[in-house]
Amino acid sequence: MLRIVALLVLLAFGFAQEITVLTHNSFSLDKGLIARFERETGLRLRFLKGGDAGETLNRAILTKGAPIADVIYGFDNTFLSRALEADILLPYRSPEIQNLKATLLLDPTFRALPVDYGWVSLNYDRAYFKDRPLPKVPADLTRPEYARLLVVQNPATSSPGLAFLMATVARFGEDGYLDFWAKLRDGGVRVAKGWSEAYYTHFTLYKGDRPLVVSYTTSPAAEVYYSEGKYQEPPTGNLFPELAFFQVEFVGILKGTRNLEGARKVVDWLLSRPVQENIPTEMWMYPARRDAGLPEVFRFAPEPLGSVRMDPKAMAQNRERWLEEWTKVVLQGQSPEAVRRGRR
Amino acid sequence: MAYGGLFVLLFLGLALFYPLGRILALGVGEGFARALANPYYWERYLWSLEYGLLSALLTLALALPLAFLLRRPFPLREVFLALSTLPFVLPTPVVALGFLALLGPRGVLGVDLYGTKALLFLAAVFYNLGLALRILLPVALNLEGPLQAARVLGASSLRAFLRVGLPLLLPALGAAGLLVFIYAFSAFGVPLLLGGPRYATLEVEVYTLLAYRLAFPEASALMLLEILTLALAVALYLRLRPYPLPPGGLLPARPWAYTLGIGAFFLLLFAPLWGLFLRLDLGALASAWASREFTPLSLALGNSLRFTLLALLLALPLGVAYAASARRGPFMDLLGLFPLMVSPVALGLGYLLAYPHLRGSLLLLLSAYALLAYPLLARALLPALRSLPPTLLEAARVLGATPVRAFLRVEIPLVFPALQSGLALALAAILGEFGASLVLWRPEWTTLTLAIYERLGRPGEAPFREALALAAFLALVSGLLFYLLDRGRGRVG
Repeated sequence: MLRIVALLVLLAFGFAQEITVLTHNSFSLDKGLIARFERETGLRLRFLKGGDAGETLNRAILTKGAPIADVIYGFDNTFLSRALEADILLPYRSPEIQNLKATLLLDPTFRALPVDYGWVSLNYDRAYFKDRPLPKVPADLTRPEYARLLVVQNPATSSPGLAFLMATVARFGEDGYLDFWAKLRDGGVRVAKGWSEAYYTHFTLYKGDRPLVVSYTTSPAAEVYYSEGKYQEPPTGNLFPELAFFQVEFVGILKGTRNLEGARKVVDWLLSRPVQENIPTEMWMYPARRDAGLPEVFRFAPEPLGSVRMDPKAMAQNRERWLEEWTKVVLQGQSPEAVRRGRR
Repeated sequence: MAYGGLFVLLFLGLALFYPLGRILALGVGEGFARALANPYYWERYLWSLEYGLLSALLTLALALPLAFLLRRPFPLREVFLALSTLPFVLPTPVVALGFLALLGPRGVLGVDLYGTKALLFLAAVFYNLGLALRILLPVALNLEGPLQAARVLGASSLRAFLRVGLPLLLPALGAAGLLVFIYAFSAFGVPLLLGGPRYATLEVEVYTLLAYRLAFPEASALMLLEILTLALAVALYLRLRPYPLPPGGLLPARPWAYTLGIGAFFLLLFAPLWGLFLRLDLGALASAWASREFTPLSLALGNSLRFTLLALLLALPLGVAYAASARRGPFMDLLGLFPLMVSPVALGLGYLLAYPHLRGSLLLLLSAYALLAYPLLARALLPALRSLPPTLLEAARVLGATPVRAFLRVEIPLVFPALQSGLALALAAILGEFGASLVLWRPEWTTLTLAIYERLGRPGEAPFREALALAAFLALVSGLLFYLLDRGRGRVG
């Protein structure tokens, strides 16, 4: 009680050298690492969870000028252009940049620095497909024998859902993606609000009725990791890389921070080797550093070859339209032709 | 009680109207007409109305007979009453898991209701029955006198009920129905998780527009539509004046057989909850207690209890001050119910806009909690306050007490049971809260509900089992707290 009152007083008057990091809800790092950083720098770290990756960024944009945090972590390449155009970030050439994988440096102005990356991908339940043939190419999903087997997330409320939608645009093109979704719709695709609902209530691995789910390429490895010895091999697997969507998560310093030095230290710290090597088993993403080792369990999460990469600009320009068109076809049952005719 | 009124007004201004205004102001302008011209949004609106109205009717249809049955003492009566309010605190994904285990595609009962309206209405009844019961039960208890009088004068039981009981019950029925309508109309989690996105309510639409798309004009238009509709419901609610009835006690006791009958009813209605307990894994509970991967249960429990206590400390004076000033003026009455009309998501974003320097501090969180809880507390207190004879207060004043002193020393002790009931409801609302909790805080402030979501956010067997165990534990803890505070007195106006 007293401690909380004292804390409140401190917060209200801003005595403490505090750095606030706005993150998405899946943020997680080893507590020991955080404590060590605080000891070594004398800074106090505060993590604010802002919702889904997109929601988090929107909160930062909403409070532009009087930012609710000093550093934002977790917006991804699907939102990169929005972050840059909203002009909420300060450039920072961290000395750690030289250690990062060059392919991840998507922002030449160094306002958004890559922290980790991964793939949104279709997972399947191995037990269900033990005696049944797996779909071989994405188009197979629309065939009658795979009807009512897939659960996806609503792209309007879920970042893996949005990533999967974009993967279908990249794969089938502006003209074809709506036809693909219309066929999925007729085949009884299920739309869940977010990842955890899709995975834990509809996926057959957790007693649902859908053996195909949109998740991450690392999910099978996570299943082994958390199984406490029950699984030696993952109970799930990844389906076709051509629908796997490449995601990079970024960190940036928010304009208007009251502690630029501290914010820079936090960015350097997130890119440092100990944190980078902690990321895989905490957030199930791959580290952005070239020299960061992967945990043993990541041998079950090979990087998919030939996955979908999309230009951040194209994503920013079309995101709203894709969402609206998808809603019309999948949720409201309109025909793809009608939706295409409606384009101006 | 002018000071009390001022206190509530000040709080509402800072914690509700200002942040909400900031959000609405972002959208004022051209977008209104565009949003209102879109038939898609009207579809959402009509569905929200349908969901609210039918949920209210269904809930009343079950709560009314149950309220009459609960007029008699019987073994475990208090336990059943406490139980009926439990769903209030359960996080929606957990309830969805329970429902789908029974009535989903691979459900135990062999009927697949996923994506149908039936499942949504079932969930609405599951969530709101306790609330309706709490409003109806006290009135049902007081009806015995008038009903008996009618029977003595020669009316049959049925005729006595129809001609005397029902008219006297109408205000309470209206109040219960409107409250359920308010909750269902602005429902968020249930329609989304159990009906799929096809049955998104207006609130879901507002959330998506605000949080994901930053489409302020449309969101503001829909928010205003929502607020107007709810304001109408609240205005109706406030016009209901209960008939002054002499307080009646419990009827003669009934034996265990009665318990069995009511027990069977609860067993059926709360099947999703039993599903949860059946899947409870004590090993998972133990591993969650000192978890190293996720927020340990011990810490989450401590946080939940501490925050709930702190928020109650704020909600209590607010609720009491509001009840005291609302019994005099309809203006305060309406104003004080405003928190029920506002989307928590919009409010959360409003907080960020209005108070960026507070940065999601504990103060914001606690005030959001108190905002959610105090109307419930006050609604329990009001009828009791209103039924006090004014002469009591006058006597105290004549004997030299100041108005505040007379209120605190004379009236409050007399309505203490109602106050306890209100506290119990407020407690449930805070413990199960999630929307506003996501208005940002430090990981070490993780509460029980957030600890459940944290685990549901990772793939894997162990986190999943821990999430289920935590949900069952949350249900148990809040059920116990509820029982201790309330002991089945259960009243709400």
